[in-house]
Amino acid sequence: MRLPWAALLRHLLRHPAQLALALVGLALGVATIAAVDMATASAYRAFELSIDAVNGAATHQILAGPAGIDELLYVALRRAGLPIDFAPIVEGYAAIGDRTLQLVGIDPFASPAFGNGASAPGALAVRLEDLPRWFTQGGTVMMAAATAAELRLSPGQSFPLEVSGRTRSAQLLASFGAERPGDETLLLTDIAQAQEWLHLVGHLSRIALRVPAGRDGELALARLRERLPAGVEVHAVGSRTRENLDLAATFAVNLQAMSLLALLVGFFLIYSAVSFAVVQRRAIIGVLRALGATRREVLAALLGEAAVIGTVGAVLGLLLGVVIGHALVRLVAGTINDLYFVVTVSRVTLPASSILKALAAGIAVALIAAALPALEAASSNPQLGLKRSVLEARATGALRWLLLASALLGAGALAIVFGSTRSLLAGFVALFLLLLAVAALAPAALRASARAAAHCLARASPIARLALNDIAASLSRTGVAVAALSLAVCAMIGVALMVDSFRESLHDWLGRTLRADVYVTAPGPGFARPERRIEKDVAAALIATPGIIAHSESRRVRVESKAFGPVSLDALTLAPGSYAGFQLTAGNRGSVWDAYERGALVISEPLAWRLRLGVGDQLTLVTARGPHAFEVAGIYREYGNDAGTALVSRAVYEAWWQDDAVTALGLYLAPRVQAAGMLARLNAVAAGRQALMIRSNADVRELSMSIFERTFVITRVLYWLTAGVAALSLVSALVAWELERSRELALLRSLGLTPRGVAVLIEAQTGFIGVVALLTALPAGVLTALMLIDVVNRRAFGWQIDLHVRAQAFAAAVGVALSAALVAGVYPAWRSARAPLAQAIREE
Amino acid sequence: MLRIGDLSRSFREGQRVHRVLDHANAQIAAGEVVAIIGRSGSGKSTLLNLVSGIDRPDGGTIEFAGRMISALGEPERTLFRRKHVGFVYQLFNLLPTLDVEENVRLVLELNGVHGAAARERSRAALAEVGLGDRLHSAVDVLSGGEQQRVAIARALVHEPALLLADEPTGNLDQDSAREIVPLLRALAQRRSAALLIATHDPGLARSADRVLELIDGRLQTRAALGAPS
Repeated sequence: MRLPWAALLRHLLRHPAQLALALVGLALGVATIAAVDMATASAYRAFELSIDAVNGAATHQILAGPAGIDELLYVALRRAGLPIDFAPIVEGYAAIGDRTLQLVGIDPFASPAFGNGASAPGALAVRLEDLPRWFTQGGTVMMAAATAAELRLSPGQSFPLEVSGRTRSAQLLASFGAERPGDETLLLTDIAQAQEWLHLVGHLSRIALRVPAGRDGELALARLRERLPAGVEVHAVGSRTRENLDLAATFAVNLQAMSLLALLVGFFLIYSAVSFAVVQRRAIIGVLRALGATRREVLAALLGEAAVIGTVGAVLGLLLGVVIGHALVRLVAGTINDLYFVVTVSRVTLPASSILKALAAGIAVALIAAALPALEAASSNPQLGLKRSVLEARATGALRWLLLASALLGAGALAIVFGSTRSLLAGFVALFLLLLAVAALAPAALRASARAAAHCLARASPIARLALNDIAASLSRTGVAVAALSLAVCAMIGVALMVDSFRESLHDWLGRTLRADVYVTAPGPGFARPERRIEKDVAAALIATPGIIAHSESRRVRVESKAFGPVSLDALTLAPGSYAGFQLTAGNRGSVWDAYERGALVISEPLAWRLRLGVGDQLTLVTARGPHAFEVAGIYREYGNDAGTALVSRAVYEAWWQDDAVTALGLYLAPRVQAAGMLARLNAVAAGRQALMIRSNADVRELSMSIFERTFVITRVLYWLTAGVAALSLVSALVAWELERSRELALLRSLGLTPRGVAVLIEAQTGFIGVVALLTALPAGVLTALMLIDVVNRRAFGWQIDLHVRAQAFAAAVGVALSAALVAGVYPAWRSARAPLAQAIREE
Repeated sequence: MLRIGDLSRSFREGQRVHRVLDHANAQIAAGEVVAIIGRSGSGKSTLLNLVSGIDRPDGGTIEFAGRMISALGEPERTLFRRKHVGFVYQLFNLLPTLDVEENVRLVLELNGVHGAAARERSRAALAEVGLGDRLHSAVDVLSGGEQQRVAIARALVHEPALLLADEPTGNLDQDSAREIVPLLRALAQRRSAALLIATHDPGLARSADRVLELIDGRLQTRAALGAPS
């Protein structure tokens, strides 16, 4: 190692605690980024693999509406002599205990040309001798050997299977070796068996196609399209997967923004640790420069060191990120299952691009954090050797620039907010500019507060005045501490207020929307899956239960739109009391529901925002009778589905989609009929026929709120990670400050201040910094919340949320700011109280 | 070899401007030993900083071996200092993170001499100052006199033409100071290096070939020390 580098680096190695602080800050920031990437990528990858496992070598697929494809179409197409391979598929979900599997009904004699997808069971090792039992024995299934082992099932063993609320008896015919990760989620059965279990007799979920490449394939596809009836369309494989993943893209962007926030706060921790390390070595740097080391050489050594720290911290962060990512993936998958699509994550992966991104972010942050102190150290005249007084003079001189920067950043944030209307990225940029404006403002606020307080306390106590003036005069340290803490506390208050406001708005909305006394829903994973249906006889029996005076019916499906991909459709037969539950934000209140009954749509705010639709616009949906343009009659407030929902009259839906299934019922009870008693009666009616989710109004509200809380668990995890980094940053900066002035503290002790007095003095100083950070962050936090609610959430999801300010939202921020500030003073106070006076006074 | 012409340097202290050097002039020949004396704050250290290129003058010139040092930019002054100047400080300024031999070798590495050659030369320099047996000692376990010897070895290991010493005995006991002065002088003369010593110590000044006193920012020649001028 070159000696100038060694001279600098060995100092760091001799102060491992300081080095550890820098590494911890960096590692935590990088870990958060890596963990979020890992969790979202794993969930996405699992979804893609589950699709790939079924599709195999299919290039296209034929899709229809929720009622599926008439199986006679498949027969007709096979006989058409097209140069295309066809494989019929019936699919849904089934549960074995707690494990949800993708139930796929296949035809083993369908084209073997599909490679190792589920549509080609030959490749999945169905042995010839098993084929007779496959066809003749009811309930036979196959699954991956690993899955069978996990479920402790062996070939020939019978076991109960839950499909659409019914318990079926299945038998494991054989297992196959999982060639790809997605194979582990498959449960294969004969297509006729799947049709029976999924109530799709005579229908197929889709038909997988293998179309030759090139001109021949295009011609074949054109000929195929000519043979398709209305409402049945051909899609390239992958486009549907992409559309499903796009639905959750905003969710992933929000998570990434939170992880970047953690890195941003971590930046201050790194800056604090790195600048302290540079300042501590001012004597070494001064000697090196006097001996002839050029500015460039000193700068290269310091930046090289930062790059090494950045690399080590980023690698540690990646390792930590893998640990956090494993915990986070469950939360992310849970939220995706609640809101978007069904996914079972069996393998956690960290993509190479994420590794590179996290490494680059870590190294870049370390270099940027080191650049300022390194430039300052390298540019100083050697004989000055970076004296503290010089540094402090520069820090104070920088205040006016920081104030100007704060004003410009704030103005920039406002300009972006008002200059853009829809861009989510611009919204996040504005949010980060606002947070940086707060960080830039905080040192000036600290100096002004400390000087004002010192002025007020001048007569009362010279020691108090000294303590406060010290804060104002040591901005190179205290400024960094207060900036990091203000930024984190501001973000914490903003996030807490946003979540609180959202919770209150959701609570109000649920109270207004949930009008029925009891709700009955078909069980099963996934929002708007067509196989989720209440069997007709069960529905009729439930509605006929004495004590029920009215009911609403709902069919929730996802249908194709011509221009925007899949759209969630809720086909409703509303009870008289249901209409008031919809809070219209656009549309004529007097005529919306008449138009709705006549065939118009009433769409939710998120859908209106996402598809840029207003009242009077048209939305073309693919129906069983072909594409049809539906008029939008009104827009209503909704928090239940961030991708948005379109309401359509059930009669209109049945006419257009030829599907009379029911997904959910809302039951209205006669006066004085108790919900608890009715739940028991309804459960008795359904018992032995179909396992349904029958819940009271209060239970549904509670469940909805618990799903909401679950959705924000990830935000909360990231929120506390950010808070942890901020607290560390504060501790690091304040410990550095206190250690630097050990001599001054020793002098005070030599003049008669007791060790306890020194401890109180230090705690009072760090507490004062915490209070100023808090006071700076409080108004800025409310602004941040407004930005999150009115800009970020609005642009991400189209939600209109009312700001609710409650004292509890500030509690965590107050706790973090004050406790971190007080904890930061403990070690220096203890050290100063114990330091031998004579030695401390001699030390510089 | 070293020519100082009309050298001026001021420092601002609040509203007041303190003129430390005011048209100072001097010439120093190769191998010559010159002592600079003057009261505290008279500008001795400032003069050495200007001559070494650590600081820049407000006016005047510094010419070394025909090269105008005062006209050089910062990087060139650093390279000049690295190659041609050795510096011995009152507080030694050794790097505590390097051992004795590394402290000396550091200057060679900065001058592009690496590996065995650098190690050989630094060991030889340390042997010259009597520390050949303390190569790998930590510098903070050495006595003041020993630390100053390491500093002298470091200042001379790259064979500079100009050796600057700022109060080299100021932090040493009398015995150590007595040993250091002849050593410094002998080693400088062995290399034909000009030695410029800023000092308060009349004894040290007396050992110089010539004595210059800084009075009101100007350099004045003192014929002899010990007697009032």
